[in-house]
Amino acid sequence: MELKERLGKEWLFFDGGTGTILQERGLAAGELPETWNLTHPEEIISLHCGYFEAGSDIVNTNTFGANALKYPHNLRRIVQAAVAHAKEARRRTGREDAYIALDIGPTGRLLQPMGDLPFERAVELFGEVVRIGAAAGADLVLIETMSDSYEAKAAVLAAKENCRLPVLATMIFDEKGKLLTGGTVDSTAAMLEGLGVDALGVNCGLGPKQMQPIIKRLTEVSSLPIIVNPNAGLPRSENGRTVFDINADEFARLMGEIAEMGVHLLGGCCGTTPEHIRKMIAACRTKSFAPAVRKHRTVVSSFSQAVEIGGKPVIIGERINPTGKSKFKAALRENNIEYILSEGMAQEDSGAHILDVNVGLPEIDEPAMMAQVVTRLQSVIALPLQIDTSSVEAMERGMRLYNGKPMINSVSGKRESMEAVFPLVKKYGGVVVGLALDENGIPYTAEGRVQIAKKIYETAAFYGIAKEDIVIDGLAMTISSDSGSALVTLETLRRIRDELGGHTILGVSNISFGLPQREIINANFFTMALQNGLSCAIINPNAESMMCSYRSFLALSGQDEQCAGFIAAYGNQQAALPASAGAVMALDESVERGLRERAAEAARDLLRTVPPLELVNNELIPALDRVGKGFEKGTVFLPQLLMSAEAAKAAFEVVKDAMRGAPQEVKGRIILATVKGDIHDIGKNIVKVLLENYGYQVIDLGKDVPPETIADTAVRENVPLVGLSALMTTTVVSMEQTIQLLRERKPDARIVVGGAVLTQEYADSIGADCYARDAMATVHYADHIFES
Amino acid sequence: MITFDRSEALRYLGYRGTEPDAAVEESLVRCAEGLQDVIQPQSVFRRFPLRHPAENMLDVAGVAIHSNHLARNLKDCTDVYLMAATLGIGADRLIARASAVRMSDAVIYQAVAAAMIEAYCEEVNDMLRRKAGNYGLYCRPRFSPGYGDFDIGHQRDLSRLLDTPRKIGLTVTESCLLAPIKSVTAVIGLSATPQPCHRKGCEECGKTDCAFRR
Repeated sequence: MELKERLGKEWLFFDGGTGTILQERGLAAGELPETWNLTHPEEIISLHCGYFEAGSDIVNTNTFGANALKYPHNLRRIVQAAVAHAKEARRRTGREDAYIALDIGPTGRLLQPMGDLPFERAVELFGEVVRIGAAAGADLVLIETMSDSYEAKAAVLAAKENCRLPVLATMIFDEKGKLLTGGTVDSTAAMLEGLGVDALGVNCGLGPKQMQPIIKRLTEVSSLPIIVNPNAGLPRSENGRTVFDINADEFARLMGEIAEMGVHLLGGCCGTTPEHIRKMIAACRTKSFAPAVRKHRTVVSSFSQAVEIGGKPVIIGERINPTGKSKFKAALRENNIEYILSEGMAQEDSGAHILDVNVGLPEIDEPAMMAQVVTRLQSVIALPLQIDTSSVEAMERGMRLYNGKPMINSVSGKRESMEAVFPLVKKYGGVVVGLALDENGIPYTAEGRVQIAKKIYETAAFYGIAKEDIVIDGLAMTISSDSGSALVTLETLRRIRDELGGHTILGVSNISFGLPQREIINANFFTMALQNGLSCAIINPNAESMMCSYRSFLALSGQDEQCAGFIAAYGNQQAALPASAGAVMALDESVERGLRERAAEAARDLLRTVPPLELVNNELIPALDRVGKGFEKGTVFLPQLLMSAEAAKAAFEVVKDAMRGAPQEVKGRIILATVKGDIHDIGKNIVKVLLENYGYQVIDLGKDVPPETIADTAVRENVPLVGLSALMTTTVVSMEQTIQLLRERKPDARIVVGGAVLTQEYADSIGADCYARDAMATVHYADHIFES
Repeated sequence: MITFDRSEALRYLGYRGTEPDAAVEESLVRCAEGLQDVIQPQSVFRRFPLRHPAENMLDVAGVAIHSNHLARNLKDCTDVYLMAATLGIGADRLIARASAVRMSDAVIYQAVAAAMIEAYCEEVNDMLRRKAGNYGLYCRPRFSPGYGDFDIGHQRDLSRLLDTPRKIGLTVTESCLLAPIKSVTAVIGLSATPQPCHRKGCEECGKTDCAFRR
């Protein structure tokens, strides 16, 4: 029978350990186990035979570490032999009813941006193994021992894109229920379900006893069949050998307990043997079997957090969006990703649960920008993201690179929109915002909007997307042009909740377009919408009036136990004095002491009497110079230098605002990059802060940057100075290559280098124009280049 | 919770015998607390026999290492512990986050995390010293790829022999850097004779003009 028809409907049993048994049989430390497929075929066949005979319904091929990084030359032979050995064992044991799982473990490399393996390269690596294994006759793909949700996503996509076999995935959690990369049971399960795996679960890391809390949580959140493949207890070292602390009888007893928790596939991992599996099967087969139950939960996730929609109302931060924001537009045009990240972090600190990400601007490459922003945001922010775009291409890029189950904004009741968006939701997973409008526009009545909501649910179902993965946007339309529009929106919210049992979302502030003091209306409408059942609100979480409404609503509606949230937010407010309470500190002193708020305040104060340029030249620059000189003399230290730079930056922002409209003076444009192969970018970032302080515009290409990108940018942007950073001797090689390429492509560009291992001699030998021993030295060199 | 050497963190920030001002001190305390919340220190070690097939050449589990400095460090040793330790990816994330908005915090996180991984390695080292003591053996100072002429490329061998990606989530990039960043791999020699002089990493290093030299 097809495996898919049996999954989650009856007990199925996996095999046990592979690596630990091969070690018993002589596999040396550091020796790659998959090589035995070619060198010790009989050992591998007999290993599989042991498990088939013990009663395993699914036996894993010896391909855990098989990928082109480890086997650049003979991957095909390794994988083909592995599948052939499993088939041979199945034939010898007469277990034609059993299945062979193509086993896929992690690559052993960390994905970008924390590591250096690009996401799409990981997809390729896994895809190659899947193609070979599926062609060789595997019955399913088992992705296992994944400690990084992002890598697991790459593997699942690769499996789905390269074969039609069932795809099962198990992750490795620690005793706190966390992946090594920070994921939880909730966040990981949401992502894997969204990606459409056929079963999910846990393996390795822990014994059956320690796994129980994790399994319990999994049974509460997952709608899929659940797999449990623990180790034979915890490992310990005995005379240099790793042994596990529970025997086959104890393992079987504990697995019997787990079988009663509502799981569906059981097996073992490190330290378990055919004996463990045989006894486990005997202990579990007679337990009553409970099929997997759909949970109908609406969940989005990031690498580490899951947010459930439908309980406490959820706040979606709206600030990552260029509409009506000139600074944000400028940041997009200048590729100033840091600005976008800082907008994200501010909203996270203000209490948002999800961040909307809209980077659409007519003159930029939106799909590329979406890819870049999603990648950067998810490396520094733990909140789930809502991918907000009208470009289907940008949507797919964002969804594909997203590390979790995203929210998607949006689909509408228009046929064309549903045909474009639903296949993406089906493939990548996500909770999608359904706008209650269609080819005929926005209905004036709640009835019309409810009808469109129904159409969206029905069409989604046709694509295999469950109702819980849709939230309906009831559409807030300004009351300034139609005084009844808020009432229609509120009625829509109620009816979606009460008649359709669905969840809702609103872009709350749309209600007040065209009115003065919009926040007053917004905050009050927000409370009304919450009272009418709004599930998610797209708002500005930095607007205190909105958060006041939200926290008050929770406290008043019995959703804030003992008002703890409210008290935490407002209990200490009287104690916190506003920054302007004390006397204004002089601007130069604020900068020298590194006090950001004070510096901004002093600048504002000074601007009342002093013209902006004079302020910069007579106050800011001299203060910065004094700090810089102190740093060079050794009386000011790096943290102070940077704090002063940040204080000066705060003052510069005030000045810039005051000069709005006037052309900004830029002393020069400089490219900064950490070279290919190097993922340490702290030095480069220090230099950037200081150069910007001194009036330079920095084109920051980031870390691990290929020479071609640096040369291309220098040519395209006609940049006269390039700064390169490298930390290790191994990456100075790429620095040298970059310099050579720059010399060819942009001979008039000057090159300044820095980094821990560099010296003047070293810099000379690789042909740099200048060696900068610290950030100030780079500033001086830039001054020298741009002044001459 | 790792107890780290505050003066070590200050040294990485360029302070030499000078106390930081109140603002920096406040940041130091705050950043250290932030790091303690996100780090997941993990380590793995394993004992291997050591062979000296030729002068200045060593053999550990079939890996040939050519290094004068390491050979000197491991003189008279019969076995080695290979060890690897990491603070986990949380520290990397915190540093990346601060880098985008507040570099003054980023450099402090970086310095404190460096002092923390050092302190954690010392902890592991102490445990190994006690373990060795049970066999009547003495540990030599920890020696990492990249020290002296011990090729940094051997990070890859150490990672493979200890199965670090799977065991502790420690990986090696194509250019032989460790990821997560705050990680260490090292060799610790085991000998039947104690070594009178404990020279540690810095003093052993040939780069005498280094700004961070002790």
